[in-house]
Amino acid sequence: MKDNEKRFTLPMLEAPRTMRIRFQKTGNLQYISHLDLQRTFSRILVRAGLPLWYTKGFNPHIKMVFGMPLPVGSESECEMLDVRIEREMSAEEMMERLNAEVTDELRVLAVYPAERKFAEVAFAEYDYTIRTERADEALAEKISDTLQAPLTVLRRTKSGEKETDIQPMIRSAAVTLDGDAIRIHAVLSAGEGNYLNPELLITALRAKTGILSSDLTKESYRILRRRVLLADGVTEFH
Amino acid sequence: MNTKISSVLKSVEKPGRYCGGEYGAIIKNKDEVKARFAFAFPDTYEIGMSNLGMRILCGALNEQPDIWCERVFCPWVDMQQKMRELDIPLWAHESGDPVSEFDILGFTLGYEMCYTTVLAMLKMAKLPLRADERAEDDPIVIGGGACAYNPEPMADFFDCFSIGEGEDNLVEFTKLYIRMKEEGRYTRQGFLHEAAATIRGIYVPSLYDVSYNEDGTISAIARRFEDIPERVEKCIIADMDKAYYPDKLVMPYIEAVHDRIMLEVYRGCIRGCRFCQAGMIYRPVREKTPDLLNKQARCLYDNSGYEEISLMSLSISDYTELEPLTRSLLEWTDRNMVSLSLPSLRVDSFNKELMERIASVRTSSLTFAPEAGTQRLRDVINKNVCEEDLMHAARVAFEGGKTNVKLYFMNGLPTETSEDIEGIATLASRVVHEYYQTPNRPKGRSPQVTVSVSCFIPKPFTPFQWEAQDTMEMLAEKQEFLREKITDRKVRYQHHNAKVSRVEAVLARGNRKLCKALEIAANEGFCFDAWDEFFDYDKWLSVFARADVDPAFFANRQFGLDEILPWDIIDCGVTKEFFKREREKAYAAATTPNCREQCSGCGANRLGGERTPCPKACRGQHEG
Ligand code: SF4
Repeated sequence: MKDNEKRFTLPMLEAPRTMRIRFQKTGNLQYISHLDLQRTFSRILVRAGLPLWYTKGFNPHIKMVFGMPLPVGSESECEMLDVRIEREMSAEEMMERLNAEVTDELRVLAVYPAERKFAEVAFAEYDYTIRTERADEALAEKISDTLQAPLTVLRRTKSGEKETDIQPMIRSAAVTLDGDAIRIHAVLSAGEGNYLNPELLITALRAKTGILSSDLTKESYRILRRRVLLADGVTEFH
Repeated sequence: MNTKISSVLKSVEKPGRYCGGEYGAIIKNKDEVKARFAFAFPDTYEIGMSNLGMRILCGALNEQPDIWCERVFCPWVDMQQKMRELDIPLWAHESGDPVSEFDILGFTLGYEMCYTTVLAMLKMAKLPLRADERAEDDPIVIGGGACAYNPEPMADFFDCFSIGEGEDNLVEFTKLYIRMKEEGRYTRQGFLHEAAATIRGIYVPSLYDVSYNEDGTISAIARRFEDIPERVEKCIIADMDKAYYPDKLVMPYIEAVHDRIMLEVYRGCIRGCRFCQAGMIYRPVREKTPDLLNKQARCLYDNSGYEEISLMSLSISDYTELEPLTRSLLEWTDRNMVSLSLPSLRVDSFNKELMERIASVRTSSLTFAPEAGTQRLRDVINKNVCEEDLMHAARVAFEGGKTNVKLYFMNGLPTETSEDIEGIATLASRVVHEYYQTPNRPKGRSPQVTVSVSCFIPKPFTPFQWEAQDTMEMLAEKQEFLREKITDRKVRYQHHNAKVSRVEAVLARGNRKLCKALEIAANEGFCFDAWDEFFDYDKWLSVFARADVDPAFFANRQFGLDEILPWDIIDCGVTKEFFKREREKAYAAATTPNCREQCSGCGANRLGGERTPCPKACRGQHEG
């Protein structure tokens, strides 16, 4: 039997405390949309029996604030979610309780009181793995060159589709050949109002180099978000 | 997961339908189990994951350490396209293994319009459609659910059917399979025969011969062996408190249609509406005790984190312990911010203070199903509500701040006249009128009454099973007539597609001759006929014509009272005599009291049952 009722016995905090949950979203979970993830997490938080703070009023609900969006089809090791608790529970216990309620693909990596604001995020670091039978030095070079030059893609914005050059939003991109795979280690803009969807890089490469446009069983790609960074492009955001 | 499947996930709509990996999904080592069961739901993931029956049965099978039961859903059309391109066969959700490698493949048949999807899935699995063409080591294909009560239109495609409640029955069936394999005496036919002979509720169509009269009606149904039952009696769980109930849930990542805790409070229905199949085939009523329900609810909540609990049953107000149950639930649900919903609650029957604490009461609309527009016709169908009940419910709803009322009716009920149809319009207007008569109605808003009208479908195992469905022309005329009669601008009118209802009637009352039509449909790629966008009436007519099936023979013909009905092979517990009596009373517009007021001797009590209103009966030779 679970002790989900234990939270009612914990000492009240003077004011609700915002705790940050860092988790991964890998494997199958890459196909879960943001909305579905929100719903999933609200249930995980309940199952874990955390002493959550509820809004007052007619329709009490918990407050969840996620960090930057992650497109469906991309994986991540640095997703963040802020929740508020109203009673004392240690970060270690929270983490332990959360990890009992998730599958490994959604494992919680850290829990701590939130200090920095999500608005301080400026960049994100990604690893791209592109598997294709055509992988060779020449293709790696071509991709590398493509990423240095102006790179226009059709971007969906609030006011319809728009041609944009995404190159200025690529802070750095290192391309290497690794067997039958091309790897790109890229740092992309990720600040509010200046967020580059990592999938757009693939879209651009597909248009300019012809990769990933044939049989998807022979060619595939994986995007993994590794870290989020502050404005200096080096310091990790926590 | 199969790499071919994962390779296409980035290029299909809603990949969350296929990716699996849900919290609570049951993963076993396939080399350590003795039987693999693929439990298929012939519709999309979102719909299948909302199905309580599937959750219960998969759970019951997985309780057995020897059995691994996985789920199978029907991939959406874009995924089907990819499967054809890349030669990916239908797979099981948990392991990604092809369904054709399983020992047993079960389909739940919840509605007739899913039949084409079932066959499409067999094709996707690369299994022969017809049972007699399956090889010795192909999976055994078994069907169950409400439509299995007349399995005949699907008889050629299924090795067998499980009739009734499957919690124990499917486990027993699978265990027999394991035992025969272990003892080295398994053959496909041998197993099916033994299952039919020894397990209650197992119907093997190939072991029965059906012959026909010249006019197309059935002349005889004959069993081929003495050791199998002449009629297959449905199985039930006698004591619902002892029924398997999942204490953990598989949590879908993408939103299921019903994404909440579904707590089954009791089975069956005391009411006996004469058009309603569910009210007859799930007899007798068997209740669970409130203590157990409260414990199960708490456990499910702790293990799921769902924010809503819905009490499930055909008519929740009829649960004898509704008040104690609600009270004990509210003791902890309030504190945990969980909302309770009681669909189909009759407002007049419930304590006001409790009512205010229940979520469904707080929603913005009231739904009510008078089914017919006049008291006379409501008496014919034994729908025990009167106009005063409706007005009372409406008044309470308006006082509680609601402005929307949704009313459900049926067109084409036996004995229906233009007066009855006009009565629908009148009743709706009266509800509007009632709004303006309610002194403390919501201020400054106007009411909206929606009238939703479906078409009567004669269903097997109901007092109306012999009735003719109105022709399409008659239904169209009636729908038009009602449209003219609804003049109140506060009343919105919707009606069902009569074409779908007609095909549904053909399939519901069909015999084995329908198999040919369904086979042609399957070969032409029919799938998802339960979805409006895929249902094509003209194609159905063409299929019927080519299979030499006259749809009017099944849908629009009055079946003879002495005629052998296709579903006579099944014994649902309720006797034909009772249905005949009820039919006569219907024509006399005489009502029948509900089971709690007085037993009407329908026969279902001989199946036994605990916490039931039925008088005790001896169970006869099947006991024990
Ligand atoms: S036996 Fe009597 S009480 Fe039981 S279901 Fe039938 S009519 Fe109702």
